[in-house]
Amino acid sequence: MTTHQLYKDVLLDHYRHPRNKGNLDGARVVGRGSNPRCGDEIEVGLFSHGNMLDRVQFRGRGCSICIAAASMMSEALSGRSKTEAAQLSVVMHRWFGNGNGAKVEPTPPALEALSAVREYPARRKCVMLCWEALSEALFALDQTLRPL
Amino acid sequence: MGSALKIKRPLTHNIYKKDFPLLHDTHPQLHYLDNAATTHKPQSVIDAIVDAYSQTYGPIHRGLYPLAEAATAAYEEARETLAHFIGAASSKELIFTRSATEAINLVAQGWARPRLREGDCIWVTRMEHHSNFLPWQRICSQKGADLKIVELKEDGMLDWESAEGLFDRPTRLIVLTQVSNVLGVENPVRAICAKAQQAGIPVLVDGAQAVGHQPVNVRELDCDFFTFSGHKMYGPTGIGALYGKIERLEEMEPLLLGGGIVDQVDDRHFTLGSIPERFEAGSPNLAGAIGFAAAANYLLEIGLAQVHTQVSQLSRAALDALSQCPDIRLLPGRNTQRHTIISFIVDGIHPHDLAQIAGEAGVAIRAGHHCCQPLMNTLGLNGTARLSLGLYNDAADVDALLLALDQARRLIG
Ligand SMILES: Cc1ncc(COP(=O)(O)O)c(C=O)c1O
Repeated sequence: MTTHQLYKDVLLDHYRHPRNKGNLDGARVVGRGSNPRCGDEIEVGLFSHGNMLDRVQFRGRGCSICIAAASMMSEALSGRSKTEAAQLSVVMHRWFGNGNGAKVEPTPPALEALSAVREYPARRKCVMLCWEALSEALFALDQTLRPL
Repeated sequence: MGSALKIKRPLTHNIYKKDFPLLHDTHPQLHYLDNAATTHKPQSVIDAIVDAYSQTYGPIHRGLYPLAEAATAAYEEARETLAHFIGAASSKELIFTRSATEAINLVAQGWARPRLREGDCIWVTRMEHHSNFLPWQRICSQKGADLKIVELKEDGMLDWESAEGLFDRPTRLIVLTQVSNVLGVENPVRAICAKAQQAGIPVLVDGAQAVGHQPVNVRELDCDFFTFSGHKMYGPTGIGALYGKIERLEEMEPLLLGGGIVDQVDDRHFTLGSIPERFEAGSPNLAGAIGFAAAANYLLEIGLAQVHTQVSQLSRAALDALSQCPDIRLLPGRNTQRHTIISFIVDGIHPHDLAQIAGEAGVAIRAGHHCCQPLMNTLGLNGTARLSLGLYNDAADVDALLLALDQARRLIG
C-alpha cells in the first residue's frame, strides 16, 4: 500500500467516524467557516478553561475532506493550549493557503495524512474550512479572556 | 451492493469519436461527460485554426494588400457560415464576441442600459446561468428597474402561467435560456417569443447549451437577440457570437470603443461605422472565427438532426439507468424530458467527492452549483453532480460513470 493510499484511508476513516463531532452546547466560544461556492459549513466550538482547550468539537456539513479535516483538527488540538492552536493554524495556512503550498515543518503527525489532499488544489479550501472556523473561535476566545 | 448497471440499447460504436484527437488518441481511456462546460475539438477545427495562422493570417478590415484581403474575406466568410448556421436573415446580424457571456453583457450595456427607466422590468428565469443573470441584476439595480424572475414548477419546467405581468407594459425585455445547463430542460422559446412579439417586448435567448446539439433557427424562434459560444459546440474558446435582429442592432451601442468601429473621429466626436463592425472594436479574432465556422461546418456535415437523435438516445439510456438506482435523485424527476444534460444527487455522497472519485476512475463529470446559485438556492441544494453528453460519447462512457458511482458508494456512502 502506498503512503498516499494510507493517507487516503486515514481521511476516509475520519470521514466515516468523525471524532469530536456533535453538539456545541456549553462551548466557551464558537467560530464558523463556510464556503459559499459549495455550501459547506463548519462550526468549531472550544471547550476551554483559561488558555487550555480541553476539548475542540465541531459540527456542520461538507464533503469528505471537509469533515475529515475538521475531525483531525479536533483531535490534534484537544488538550493543547490556545497558543499552540494558533501556531498550528499558521502552519496550516502556510501549508494549504494560497502560497506555493510547500510543506512546512513541523507538521504534527496527527495531520500528516492531509498531505494526500495537496495534489488536489481545488480542494484545499475544503481542508481549510475548519481552520477558518478555528481562527474565528480563537479570536472570540481572546476577547473573552481580555481583562475588562 | 450490485455491480454497476449496464445501460440499455447501448450506442456501442461511436463513429465520430475518431474525429477528436484528444479523446481518441491522447486520452483514449478518458470518459468525458462534461460537455456542458466545454466540448473537445475535432481535427477539422484544429486544422482550420492552424491553417488560419499558417496560410491566411493578416489584419482584418485594415489592409490593402492581398494577404490582408484574404484574411478579411476569411473572417467574413466565417461570419456568413455562422449566420447561416443559426438561420439569421443576413450575416450583418451576427456579431463576433469573446464568449456567450460577452454577448449577453453587450446587450445589457449596449441595448438595455440606454433605454431602461426607473420602474421598468426585465424578466429573467430561475434557471439562468450567472452569465445571463448578473448582467441583468446589475443593470436593473443601476437603473432602478425591477428584476423579475419566472419561477420553476415541480417538474423543473418554468411556470410561465404564474409570471404575472410578464407581457405587460413595464416589461422592457424578457431573457431566458433555451436549454438549462443544470436541469437540461428546454424552454418553450418560440411560444414565449410569439407572445412577447405581440406585446412589443424584445426577447433575448441564451443559446449556449442548445447550439451545436440540435437544429437552431433564430428566425423560426423569432427572438430579438440570441447568444452562443464557440467552445460549447466543438469550436475554439475565446469566441462567441451575438445574433440580433437588424432593427435591434440599430438601437444598440457598442460595449467597447476603439479601432475599426467608426466612420469619422475628430477631437470631440465620432460617428459609428456600419453594423456589425461597430460592435467589434479592436483587431478581430481571426483564427477564432475560422475555427468557430469550421465547427459549424463539421456539424452541418453530420447534420444537426442526427447529432440530436444520437445524443438523445444515449441520454435517455443514461437517464433510465440512473433512475433505477434507489439512492439517486434526479433533478428534475425522471419524467421531465431533457436532452444532453442530467443533474443528480446521490444519497450520502457529496457531489464533490463523487466527481473526484469519478475523475480518478477516468470519468469527467462536473459537480457544484454550475454557476446557477439562484437556482440552487431555490432547490435548497448546495450543488449537484452533472453529466453532459456530446457527439463523441457512447455507452462505454455512461457505463464507466455507473461503475464509478458504485466505487463512490463503496468508498464514501
Ligand atoms: C447556459 C449558459 N449560458 C452562458 C454560458 C457562458 O458561456 P461562455 O463560457 O461562452 O461565456 C454558459 C457556460 O457555462 C452556459 O451554460
